[in-house]
Amino acid sequence: MTLLRRVGRLLLATLREIGDENAYRRHLAAHGRQHSGPEWRRFSEERFRAKYARAKCC
Amino acid sequence: MKLLGYLLWGAIAATAAFCLGGVALIRGEHINSIWLVLAAACTYITAYRFYGRFVAARVMALDDRRATPAERLRNGHDFEPTNKWILLGHHFAAIAGPGPLVGPVLAAQFGYLPGTLWIVIGAVLGGAVQDFVILFASMRRDGKSLGKMAREEIGKVGGFIALVTVLIIMVILLAVVGLVVVNALKGSAWGTFTIAATMPVAIFMGLYLRYWRPGKVLECSAIGFFLVLASIFGGRSVAASANLAPIFTLSAMALAIGIIIYGFLASALPVWLLLAPRDYLSTFVKLGVVFMLAIGILIVRPELQLPPFTRFVDGTGPIFAGKVFPFCFITIACGAVSGFHSLISSGTTPKMIAKEWHAVPVGYGSMLMESFVAIMAMIAACVLQPGVYFAVNSPAGIVGATPAAAAATITNWGFPVTADTMAQLATDVGEKSLFFRTGGAPSLALGMAHIFASTGSGAVIGFWYHFAIMFEALFILTIIDAGTRVGRFMLQDLLSHVAPPLGRMTSMPAVVVTSAMVVAAWGYFLIQGVRDPLGGINSLWPLFGISNQLLAGIALCVATTILLKMHGAKYVWITFAPLVWLVMVTFTAGWQKIFSPLPAVGFLAQADKLAAAGAASAATQTLIFNARLDAAVCGVLMVLVAAILIDSVRVWVGILRGTSDAHVREAPFVISRLQAEEL
Repeated sequence: MTLLRRVGRLLLATLREIGDENAYRRHLAAHGRQHSGPEWRRFSEERFRAKYARAKCC
Repeated sequence: MKLLGYLLWGAIAATAAFCLGGVALIRGEHINSIWLVLAAACTYITAYRFYGRFVAARVMALDDRRATPAERLRNGHDFEPTNKWILLGHHFAAIAGPGPLVGPVLAAQFGYLPGTLWIVIGAVLGGAVQDFVILFASMRRDGKSLGKMAREEIGKVGGFIALVTVLIIMVILLAVVGLVVVNALKGSAWGTFTIAATMPVAIFMGLYLRYWRPGKVLECSAIGFFLVLASIFGGRSVAASANLAPIFTLSAMALAIGIIIYGFLASALPVWLLLAPRDYLSTFVKLGVVFMLAIGILIVRPELQLPPFTRFVDGTGPIFAGKVFPFCFITIACGAVSGFHSLISSGTTPKMIAKEWHAVPVGYGSMLMESFVAIMAMIAACVLQPGVYFAVNSPAGIVGATPAAAAATITNWGFPVTADTMAQLATDVGEKSLFFRTGGAPSLALGMAHIFASTGSGAVIGFWYHFAIMFEALFILTIIDAGTRVGRFMLQDLLSHVAPPLGRMTSMPAVVVTSAMVVAAWGYFLIQGVRDPLGGINSLWPLFGISNQLLAGIALCVATTILLKMHGAKYVWITFAPLVWLVMVTFTAGWQKIFSPLPAVGFLAQADKLAAAGAASAATQTLIFNARLDAAVCGVLMVLVAAILIDSVRVWVGILRGTSDAHVREAPFVISRLQAEEL
């Protein structure tokens, strides 16, 4: 059961990493800011600019 | 305990050898797909444990005491130490595109054996090594890109050529994956409606994420997924509607134009509105479907219907012409060796590795996982009856324009199929016809639907077929919109030196003009594929495979140079052997594609044949021009890579003689202070 819970947590964390939610948390922590709509927009614009300047794999 | 370990690893290695032997040697009876699964899985596990760790320990001398760029340059954005399993998932999601799914399906025309052996052996000794060494090199160089490493290790020429090569490959890639979508959706009201519905779904997700529930990516993607599932059911109703079905039943040309317009809009529109939400959704769906397919194969354990070898190893195949060597090895690039991976391995991933030894599962292990996806695609293609497989994948220009003629031709090849069987199958999956659906996506969807429907899930094969088509088209369109955008950035970067106004990223006219230029480039090849009487895949997929593996050649040149500087000639065979193989394969294939006297293989012979027919119409003139253009693109790519090869050999000889700079350009050693709880 503990193993299953660990696997579940890991899976969720992976999905959060792929979905940039972890990166957003790091961004808030690094800048000491609170979550808000404008803050997410600021973060996502910077994130997407870097992310979609790189080639996607075939 | 040690003895138990030896016994366990001996058993895994013996299972790998036994199953590979079985797959290679069993003749005259259908083999179960579990043979392929076990052969691949046990080979990967053994290779990971012994070869991967050998390269890590002896060659790279990975050291967990050494701080990685993620720790030294930590900034909360790009550089961030990340848990190795999370990074493994992230890296795998980034490298696994449509390539490992489509390539094996097309290569199945030779039978299951050549492709399977190439996928397994190519990944273990070539693809995974390339990804791993480039990841290691970038990690030791503050996360530098492949282009920058090529410039530093080989010379300025290498760096520039790498950039131009990537841009050309992008153009070919976008055209060929666009063609795969066109061929999957032409004449299909159900499929076209489902994919069209993903656009408003993506825009809804974009608005949801930006204004209504900012930052809730997983929640938003879950809603998007249910809406996309609903669109599959909606598509069935649309296909059955006398009024709506004609609106969504589109020709190949109409679909191609639609995709070109979509690519332009997605490149010019704000990213948050369409591209980013679609990317999130397609990545999650992709991972989910790959996992479902693995479970489905294990539950159903289908028998392979295609033989180990078909008569088409002699080069007369209907899907693409050319002998098993070299064409099997360029048709399957992703899944065995893919140059594109070197861009990912020198992109985000090296900036997120917390400990050096994490590079083994992330770099070597991820590629083995992608290779396993390719094996599953091969199984999905090979569970189809051979007659059905060839009826779906062969162009009308080769098998005959009517169902009866096509069925007769394919039956004469020794793969019995009837027009009635195909008509019934088309009805079962809600399509008007499944003949001449080249590109690999429809046959992969049929194979996947067969597996999913056999799991006892209760859903009918029609649902699963369109679910699989939706899955393939969704992430192919994500590649088209993201790729067009990246191509635009590259073009603006290049143009900024000659026409500075066009290089301004924030200037709307510059964005519109450069987006149009990139879209026009890949759109031209896409239209060329649609007009090609042989289906387009015959010429475009080999071109894509050659260019992708030429990029792998560049990456392996960089890797070989680095290993030479680190150890002299001692371990250079690790990257040099796959490089030699790739050079042989790509240059043979490239040469044949340009100069083969057979019109089905050689572009120039094809142009000459058309010209010799006389009284050429405008359409024929276009076909002649296109064949010569394909030859020119192939030639340019070969010359570019040959230049890097020659430059590399010059550097290698200098290093071995002691006349060239053999300085290893790694970042200085800094002791890691990362705590266990931070991982």
